[in-house]
Amino acid sequence: MITTFALLILPLIATVFTILSSSARANQRITLLVGIAHLIASLYCLVSLRDPFPNGWWLAVDPLGGFFLTILAHTFVLVVLYSPSFLQRMQGREYDHSKRLFYPALNFYLLANTLVLVVQQFAILWVVLELTTFSLVPLIFFYRSKESLEAVWKYLFLVSLGLVFLFVGVLFLGISARGISDYTAFSVARMTAAAPQLNPLWLKASFIFVLVGLSAKIGLAPMHPADIDATSNAPAPVAALMAGSLRSTAVLVLLRFYQVVARTDVQPFAQKLLIFAGLLSLGVSAVYIWHNRNFKRLLAYSSVEHLGIIALGVGIGGVALLGALLHLLFNSFGKAALFFMAGNIHRSYGSREIDAVTDLLRRLPWSGFVWALAFLYIVGTPPFGIFFSELFVLRGMIQTANWLSLFIFLALLMVIFIGMSRAVLRMLHTPGKSSAPAVADRERLNLSHALGLYAVAASVPLAVFQPPALFDSLHAILAAFGVKL
Amino acid sequence: MINVLTILFCLTLIYLAVTTRLSAYVLILVVQGALVAGVHALAFFSDFSWSHLIVAAAVLLVRTLLIPAYIVKIIRQLDMGHRDRTRRYHPGFLVQMAAVVVGAFLISHQLSRFTPVNVIPFGAAVAGIAAGGLLIVRRRLLLAHVVGFLIIENGLFLLGIGVQAQMPWMIEVAGLLDLFVLVFLMGIAINQLKSQFPEAEGAELTVLQD
Repeated sequence: MITTFALLILPLIATVFTILSSSARANQRITLLVGIAHLIASLYCLVSLRDPFPNGWWLAVDPLGGFFLTILAHTFVLVVLYSPSFLQRMQGREYDHSKRLFYPALNFYLLANTLVLVVQQFAILWVVLELTTFSLVPLIFFYRSKESLEAVWKYLFLVSLGLVFLFVGVLFLGISARGISDYTAFSVARMTAAAPQLNPLWLKASFIFVLVGLSAKIGLAPMHPADIDATSNAPAPVAALMAGSLRSTAVLVLLRFYQVVARTDVQPFAQKLLIFAGLLSLGVSAVYIWHNRNFKRLLAYSSVEHLGIIALGVGIGGVALLGALLHLLFNSFGKAALFFMAGNIHRSYGSREIDAVTDLLRRLPWSGFVWALAFLYIVGTPPFGIFFSELFVLRGMIQTANWLSLFIFLALLMVIFIGMSRAVLRMLHTPGKSSAPAVADRERLNLSHALGLYAVAASVPLAVFQPPALFDSLHAILAAFGVKL
Repeated sequence: MINVLTILFCLTLIYLAVTTRLSAYVLILVVQGALVAGVHALAFFSDFSWSHLIVAAAVLLVRTLLIPAYIVKIIRQLDMGHRDRTRRYHPGFLVQMAAVVVGAFLISHQLSRFTPVNVIPFGAAVAGIAAGGLLIVRRRLLLAHVVGFLIIENGLFLLGIGVQAQMPWMIEVAGLLDLFVLVFLMGIAINQLKSQFPEAEGAELTVLQD
């Protein structure tokens, strides 16, 4: 309980401090300090908690929450480390207000996401999930351009509309539990225990609404457009935060509902829905990755692809669920590296167009190198983590003899791989034209490259050696879904 | 009495289909806010507690006073005129809205055969949610989208009554606070959009495309 409150109090203090303080340096330091403390507390939860259904008040950390808290805190620390260099290059009075709001919004983001991850009450989940949307508004609107304004509007509107659907799902879940539990005792532990007695018809309806409602926030097709616009128009650190942690937070909310469904006869129906949503997202991302001319949108569609793989893994179940959880973790690493480098490239070339970026390896050797490495990472090349998590998902499909899904999955992965390769290789190797925009002097190795290299390299020992602290926790999570490996 | 209030709620939806006046949009929100607050107070009257009174008062305050006042402020600030100039009255919209309301009640009636739902509040709730969505699709003005969203929220509130789902009062109040902050942020965004897209009455959002 003390850890739970520490996880909430720390970002709250940092939010208040950064609102009151006018020193950018002090704000950065306190945010980093809180991020590191949050990461330590999250790791402690990850390695120490084994009870899948803690008896607590409305707030408690379970192994599932501990895992997602670690993803959130880790991405947050990477982003805070990257942020000073980003803010430094945002010179000009038009950015003053955005810079002033940056750290308070970042800390509020951490607070809002932590709240979602520790809330164990279905009726509160949708309220706190809306807070994560609010925290992002000043961050997405950082550039104060037409594009960022449009992105903010669409994100705010569509995600909020999605959360209305989520609320309907919560109501229907309550109806399915009529006579068993009322909304005041609507906790995950209680509902999971009572799952076999729930009304299957209302439970099915509830899961449909929950999935559709959360799709806008997760970035699953066909509700993905707002998320694409927001991610591709937000500054690089914010985009990394959204792709690496915000979508994971929304996935956790989906998993909370799925925990209940997984103990009922409705599970096969929910699995089919998840598999369909996953494959549809892969299909949509394959089409748009192939045609895209904007490298930040390309990365945003790559997120749709990976969230699709995660939905697919959850839907397949068994070892694929383990793959889906690992994929969430490794995707957050890769997206941080890719968006940090995308920020460097955008700054140097002054454009997000793929055609405008030429000769990347020669002009920006370090950014180009990390960009190429992160590309290999995200398309699932061994020995990087994504390769192993995708392998688990594949194994799950083979074990359950889900041959049609397997065929579609592999075919779409191939199309996406070729589509991304075309874009990335063009950026890396196409010789520059004389009319190409001038770029800065030959770049040196800096913190952003080190962070990118760390992010892609860190997944290798995690995937290859499978540290017991992480995998014991993952097995405890799987047990909460009735999966034993 | 609850049935009378929810039927009045449906009549506001029909009025929504025939008006393009911005002040009428605000009036509809005020009336709907008062109606849902009344329905909430009556629905849980037999099981009276102070928390019900707090929720009803909060609904009344936020939905009939704060949010409409804020929308009026936006309309005046941006000098948007008296009517939604992106759209003229079109009888097709009225037909669609009537179909939505009738369809919602038919669904509610069918559903009541299998599961315990209050047919009229449930039907009105479904009609409110669908009508809000219809308004968002049919109107280009961003302010109309916000109004559509608020009507969906009103429908959602009635849905809770329709399925006899009583949330803890703290969650109801937190939800209202969420709603108010959301509308506030949307208002700021509309303000910014109007200043950045002065040429477009509806501030068409078409810059970002694949």
